[in-house]
Amino acid sequence: MTFSLTISPSDLLLLLPEILLTCWLCFILIIDFSFPRLPNEQLAYFSIAGLIATLGCLAWFDIAGITGTLFANMFALDRMALFFKMFIVGSTILVLLASIDYIHRFKFFRGEYYFLVMMSALGMMFMASANDLLSVFITLEFSTLGFYVLVAYLREDMASNEAGIKFFVLGIFAAALLAYGISLVYGETGKLVFSDMTAVQATPGLAIGFLLIFAALGFKIGAVPFHSWIPDTYHGSPTPVTAFLSIAPKGAAFAILLRMFFVALATFKPIWILLLVAASILSMTYGNIVAIAQKNMKRLLAYSGIAQIGNILIGLAAGTKMGSDAMLFYLLTYLFANLGAFAVVIAVSEAIGSEEIDDYSGLGRRSPFLAFSMLIFLLSLAGVPPLAGFIGKLYIFVSAVKEGLYLLITVGLINVVISMYYYLIVVKKMYVSEPHDRSPLRVSGSIKMVVYVCLAGTLAIGIYPQPVTDWVVSAILMFSNFPDPTAALPVPPAVTPFGG
Amino acid sequence: MGDYTLLYILFAPFVGAIALIFVSNRQAMLVRGIAAGSAFVSLLASLYLFYAYDHVKGGFQFVQKYEWSRQLGISFHLGVDGIGTPLVLASGILLFAGVFVSWHIKDRTKEFYIWLLILAAATIGVFMSLDLFFLFFFYEMSVIPMYLLLGMWGSHTKKYNEMTDPEGLKLRDSVGFIFNFGSNSKEYAAMKLVLFLSAFAVAALMGILLIYKYAGLNTFDILVLRDQAKLMNIPVLGTTLDKIIWLLIFFGFASIAPLWPLHSWSPVGHAAAPAATSMLHAGVLMKLGHFSIIRVAFEILPETTRELMPIAAVLCMFSIVYGGFVAFFAKDTKYVIGYSSSSHMGYVFLGMAALDYISLTGAVMYMFAHAMATGMLFAMAGWVYDQTHSRDIPSLGGLSNRMPFISGCFVVACMASIGVPGTVNFIAEVMIIVGSWNKYPLQVIVAVVGIVLTLAYLFKMMRGLFYGPMDQKYSHAHDAVAVADRLPLLIMITVSVGFFFFPMHLYNVVRSGVDPLIAKIIRVVPIASLERETLVMNGETTSASKTIDALVLTKTPSSLPPSPLRGLE
Repeated sequence: MTFSLTISPSDLLLLLPEILLTCWLCFILIIDFSFPRLPNEQLAYFSIAGLIATLGCLAWFDIAGITGTLFANMFALDRMALFFKMFIVGSTILVLLASIDYIHRFKFFRGEYYFLVMMSALGMMFMASANDLLSVFITLEFSTLGFYVLVAYLREDMASNEAGIKFFVLGIFAAALLAYGISLVYGETGKLVFSDMTAVQATPGLAIGFLLIFAALGFKIGAVPFHSWIPDTYHGSPTPVTAFLSIAPKGAAFAILLRMFFVALATFKPIWILLLVAASILSMTYGNIVAIAQKNMKRLLAYSGIAQIGNILIGLAAGTKMGSDAMLFYLLTYLFANLGAFAVVIAVSEAIGSEEIDDYSGLGRRSPFLAFSMLIFLLSLAGVPPLAGFIGKLYIFVSAVKEGLYLLITVGLINVVISMYYYLIVVKKMYVSEPHDRSPLRVSGSIKMVVYVCLAGTLAIGIYPQPVTDWVVSAILMFSNFPDPTAALPVPPAVTPFGG
Repeated sequence: MGDYTLLYILFAPFVGAIALIFVSNRQAMLVRGIAAGSAFVSLLASLYLFYAYDHVKGGFQFVQKYEWSRQLGISFHLGVDGIGTPLVLASGILLFAGVFVSWHIKDRTKEFYIWLLILAAATIGVFMSLDLFFLFFFYEMSVIPMYLLLGMWGSHTKKYNEMTDPEGLKLRDSVGFIFNFGSNSKEYAAMKLVLFLSAFAVAALMGILLIYKYAGLNTFDILVLRDQAKLMNIPVLGTTLDKIIWLLIFFGFASIAPLWPLHSWSPVGHAAAPAATSMLHAGVLMKLGHFSIIRVAFEILPETTRELMPIAAVLCMFSIVYGGFVAFFAKDTKYVIGYSSSSHMGYVFLGMAALDYISLTGAVMYMFAHAMATGMLFAMAGWVYDQTHSRDIPSLGGLSNRMPFISGCFVVACMASIGVPGTVNFIAEVMIIVGSWNKYPLQVIVAVVGIVLTLAYLFKMMRGLFYGPMDQKYSHAHDAVAVADRLPLLIMITVSVGFFFFPMHLYNVVRSGVDPLIAKIIRVVPIASLERETLVMNGETTSASKTIDALVLTKTPSSLPPSPLRGLE
């Protein structure tokens, strides 16, 4: 297999967002070294400016419809990749905004924090475009590299160190699985690009290979049974890193899963549906049941995150155009609700220095704004109308019911009720329990901004989802094996309002 | 007004709730003013709706339709028929009355009114939704405000408070949570309510999703599904699909109604709730169940309804008797009213189960009448609790000296709840009993026994509260004298009595909604025989139809054609 690496300027255009971000993160590093006295906030706003420029560039690509492939199909830039890149860059912006207050807890290397976050974001942007197994491996490891450091960034804190080691050991193990899986698949088929594999024969080696790749990606998204790193890592990491870890890598990994299952393995759909159904049921049930027992807010959100991933897997298991639309939609609602919830956790922990659920007692009196925001985010995660999470769940369930996955929907619906219990426990603490201390909380402007953006997203998508739905539907149009969805929709016939 | 009436009714409380966010809690009068103002707009619009509804034309009126999601086939489709209209009016009245009943809430006034307005608006939304998605959307939306209202402004039961001591705290919470021997904390009540209703709501959602899938029309629109969905005779799991859907929908929504084995959340929730919430809860929230069953099961699956509705006829007996007996022995005022509500909802199920024009009209009118009666009772139980901080009937007594106005209204409310002539409840009860006598005589006898029970427990409670010796510690209790305190009771009494003397418009409106529904349910030809007919007709083509004409014209038995046409006789 030979590559001809002749790149024309028009090809480089496709890489423009990544190039922009690469230059910018080097620039941030240089500024940090050159001006050690520069206040951290300014560095943060510099980084955010660069990310906003990248986001603008991606939005321009999306509107102008600039797409294409590079490096012999290793790098695919299509509407779906653009969606996920915007998802990743958007969440990075919000995470950096939420970090500004938190950064004083780091004793050393404050400037490098921004560099590392942006570097992980860059890796994940490449992940969203990864179109063959080699680039999957490289980009996945590239993005995880930054996280290995970030998770253990609280150097003096034992929990953070423990989190770092757990994440590192299990991450390396997953990488080994991935490499082994890729070598098996390559050995069986002699192909690496997803779109070339559509006509491969099913062999045991191929099955094991893809199973190993799925295990590595399952580690990344934290689906049961590959979830064991999540609670401790989420708990120990610095909270903004936890927020980042709980959202952006999920999006990037789902991009790869979509390409792998819908392009490379489209012909084996009856088999992988079973795998996904099992993973989904286990994730939802395990995540929700264990979340009930949690006493720490970050751990609660970690387990609820596992359950949410189970919900997203329902859409993947549906294996249809509508299912993947629903996944993208759900990821967006999850982004706003989960990031918002973590932003509130950061604000509370800045003010009272605790992340225990018991210390949220009386938050409704101490800071009505934070309590109300937390209420909205938790209810959106639980799936209560008129919030975004409800529409997301309904979209997922509708896509699954069309495929007749009744078992999955039944389990999913039961889990909605279970999850409501532990989210409401937090609501009860905030609103019903009396506060231990009545002093009002101070909330900084940057956190407020994050919370406002997330509140706006959660409410707007919940009240009028049509623009977002249109966007995700057009983002998935690239899969050739799906018919045009607008043709498949039967037009509801007109009715007279005064029927008998 | 005009076409947009429904939007005014629905969005006035929402706008009020949003406006309240920007008001400080210190300006208490402004907060109350905004709440009362938005409730008043909603009430006026619903009064207009009620009197502008054209019962001669019937059908769904004031229809609004906006596309909401193309991919999912959801439109924001509003409209009311004769069944929804009176319930919208009842919600409007109870919301307005509820704002005044909660006039003296001091703790976090603003938040209270925000959640109360959202609760009422969501309830109203269900009554006017013509899209299954939005029906469920508003239904779910009404549950969460209940949690916050109960949790933040509710009250524990007496037994729970008695168990309060530093050592017993742990035991109280754990034992109370699992077995709750009448010792409920408000948190327990709120959590039970939300989980119970959500659990059954997802069953209903499953039913809705099945309708969506098997109709195959890619729409949630009730009118389209009603006219075009073909859900009959699809075999699944040894029975047919329509039966499974019907059971999911029926029990999913009957939990909020609350039908007998699913009722346990309801009295607990009533007891813990603040007065205005109990009013809305018992007055209109419980009717969401009956209404949704009528709107979804009756409209979309008329034939299955005819087949399976006897289930409701059996269960409603237990509802009536069980609720009545527990209410008789309960010692907590709110438990008495709560169980009496769940007992009275049995009458509505009886009226629905009989599938008769008169009985279903009576059932809908009873929902309206019961909203007023139970609203009054809860408002007054709330007043007594505010004055005495006790809901324990044996420890209360003799309050009529202290509060003559309240005790006078209480007599009227008891009359209304029992169904004494002079209140609209009487008309509704008689219609239910007359309408279902032919089909379910046993249930009617039980219902009459239920009325006697109602008489017994309400009079027992009235004597316990207002007559007999008074404990001196209640000597500071005072009557409702301010206009704001008397207004809600006077409104509800006026409505209750007024519709007894002028019931025709209410009757006509309800009847215009009931007629097409019952006609469809009773007269539907079984699909199986219909298919056989079409088969035969296709096989015989023109000569057969000519023979039918001949048959009809001559009416001579001798000219009967041979076997293939036997099925048509």
